[in-house]
Amino acid sequence: MKTRMKRAGAMILAGAMAMSCLGSVSASAAEPKKTVIGVAFYNDSSKPTTATKAYLESLADALNVEFKYTVFTQTDESANLTKIQELISAGAEGIIGTIDLGTTAIVEECEAAGVYYAGYLCDFDTSYQTAYEAVYENPYFLGTISDGHNPDDIVLGTQTFESVMEYNERNPENPLTHMAMIIFPDWAYPAQAKQAEQFVEEIEKYNETAETPITVDPIDAESDVIPFTPLDSTYFSKHPDIDAIASFAAGTSFVYPTMVASGVDGDLKLFTTGFEGGEEENFGSAGKGTFQQNVITAIETVTYPLVLLLNQINGVEFADMPETAERIGCDQIIINSDEDLEKFLVNIYNTGDAAGACWTGEDVLKMTAFGNPDATYADLVEAVTNLTLDNM
Amino acid sequence: MKDNWIKKHIYDIAAYAGLLVTLILFFVFSRNRLLYNATTVIQTAAPYAVLSLGAVFVYSMGFMDVSVGQQVGVYAILIILISNALGGTTFGVFVGFLVVLAIALLCGAFNGAVAVWLGLPSIVTSLFLMFFFTGAQYLLMESTGINSISIQAAIKPSDRNIYTLLLIAVVALTALVVFYLFKFTKLGKYTRAIGANEKTAVQAGVNTTKWKVYAYMAFGATVALGAFLMLTRTGSAGKGTGSGYAMDIMICLILGGMPLSGGMLSKAGSALIGTFTYILLTNDLTTMGVSLNTINFVKAVIFIIIILVTCRKQTNLLPR
Repeated sequence: MKTRMKRAGAMILAGAMAMSCLGSVSASAAEPKKTVIGVAFYNDSSKPTTATKAYLESLADALNVEFKYTVFTQTDESANLTKIQELISAGAEGIIGTIDLGTTAIVEECEAAGVYYAGYLCDFDTSYQTAYEAVYENPYFLGTISDGHNPDDIVLGTQTFESVMEYNERNPENPLTHMAMIIFPDWAYPAQAKQAEQFVEEIEKYNETAETPITVDPIDAESDVIPFTPLDSTYFSKHPDIDAIASFAAGTSFVYPTMVASGVDGDLKLFTTGFEGGEEENFGSAGKGTFQQNVITAIETVTYPLVLLLNQINGVEFADMPETAERIGCDQIIINSDEDLEKFLVNIYNTGDAAGACWTGEDVLKMTAFGNPDATYADLVEAVTNLTLDNM
Repeated sequence: MKDNWIKKHIYDIAAYAGLLVTLILFFVFSRNRLLYNATTVIQTAAPYAVLSLGAVFVYSMGFMDVSVGQQVGVYAILIILISNALGGTTFGVFVGFLVVLAIALLCGAFNGAVAVWLGLPSIVTSLFLMFFFTGAQYLLMESTGINSISIQAAIKPSDRNIYTLLLIAVVALTALVVFYLFKFTKLGKYTRAIGANEKTAVQAGVNTTKWKVYAYMAFGATVALGAFLMLTRTGSAGKGTGSGYAMDIMICLILGGMPLSGGMLSKAGSALIGTFTYILLTNDLTTMGVSLNTINFVKAVIFIIIILVTCRKQTNLLPR
């Protein structure tokens, strides 16, 4: 009886597999040939990933592109190279990557296969610092758009300071006077230590003339640098008197859960980056008012690598295209008030609905050199680097 | 007579059939990317093939080693650190490899010997090594202060085709050595005997402790070589390098017809058949248009089917 059940189970599984394979074959055969663009995300389930997929799919028909998706690892170069090889095997003629890990080998692989590579939400800083010639000067690497400003043009420290000032202006009777910071390790995000330094410098300048100065605890390497693990609850005993945290590390995922678990989410304010969903319930004046700043990059910035790839694949180039690939920084969406949150909640980043995106497929087509002979690289850069809440 | 032959070789037939099907699909669906896909398959398969070939000695005893992935990661990092410290020269790479080989052999001896002396299942000692190497990998990368380190020396030919041919040569040479050791020497004979029935092997006068240690050391040598081959792919390594290799090797061997319980039905050929079936399968599913995110699911389904089919009917034991 057991043997029969096993056989039956095996046959059902085999049948299901065969059907899935046949289904996929017939599906691809039925569709007309399109340019295939691969996208290697840094994770497979987050608001930016979901929204980016929705946005790209909304462009597919107008640009005659089929998108294929995969997920990079954050720690294994060899695995990332395999993912790229899989995308190339699947017919990708251009690939958008989101992690700078194994990039030299990836770009070499792309060159060997005649496939173009470009970046999104990533400054490719390691390659910029250590393998510029091999990556940025390779003709198959077309450039990248960073997740915010580039490491040599840091503004987030100043931005966070401004958010703190705005909060204090709104709350003159109960201003923030004592803060601590949180960053990711230097080996992964060297820019965050600089952002923290910038924040402290701004506070010190402010304190020179302030009636109510703000104290910022210096970074404690043991408790304030989190190696991509949730904040340890001892953080709050090391900083017992603070009334707010400036987390340059992604605070929604790594800091807020510990604040809730430690019961301090009603007492402390959090100024951070990223938006995972659900923050709106305790943002600004809502709920416990824990979140006072979230900073994210508009997902429409993926238009930059996409247009560059499509131009190359279609054999055309902007007249003002730079000779060497560039990494461009961009302004970000700053949410630090109830009004900002209201605007942001209908943004594609939050809804995952492409109807809320800034650009349609026809708009993006006009940004390409093959869809619009008058289109320029400068116009493209101008468009994708100013996607702030006010401009969208 | 014919029925008996089929019954006796059913697992081999299934393994070869699997490889044949994946090969046919590979030729059909690669279309204009046949050469690229072929080189990709070989480059991806080479480290797995070498590791699986060495793992045959361990699996034929009915044992397994879950530390292999972390060992590969640490060895890759060590080769980079040593060769870079020696000026990024070929000599530095050679020294780095020798150091790693020595460590791998020691770890193999440790794995085999400690398990016997303490009367522990071998998976327990390999678990200890896995945790040890996980920590070592983390600490080594922390000491560098960066997420990923690259080797300065040129460790592969710039010509993709020559590189692929070299990989084929290394895999072929390793396979020849392993086939010889497994088929014509006491090492292969006794490891299979241990897998079939250890008590009987002891009664027959086999020093099982000694041969277990030798088997693990043989595997260690291939782990060092596999780590080097893997390093040649990207020229860099980091905190997650090698993760998942232990499970992948197990899948490769099972796909190739290696019984998980080891024994006399164990064959060195399982390593090559299984590895290429596994890598080709991924490539085939990709070129057939299966979503890249669902490929793992499809592979899991195939794996379950194989486990169900290869279970022994009467006793529900895996074949020996």
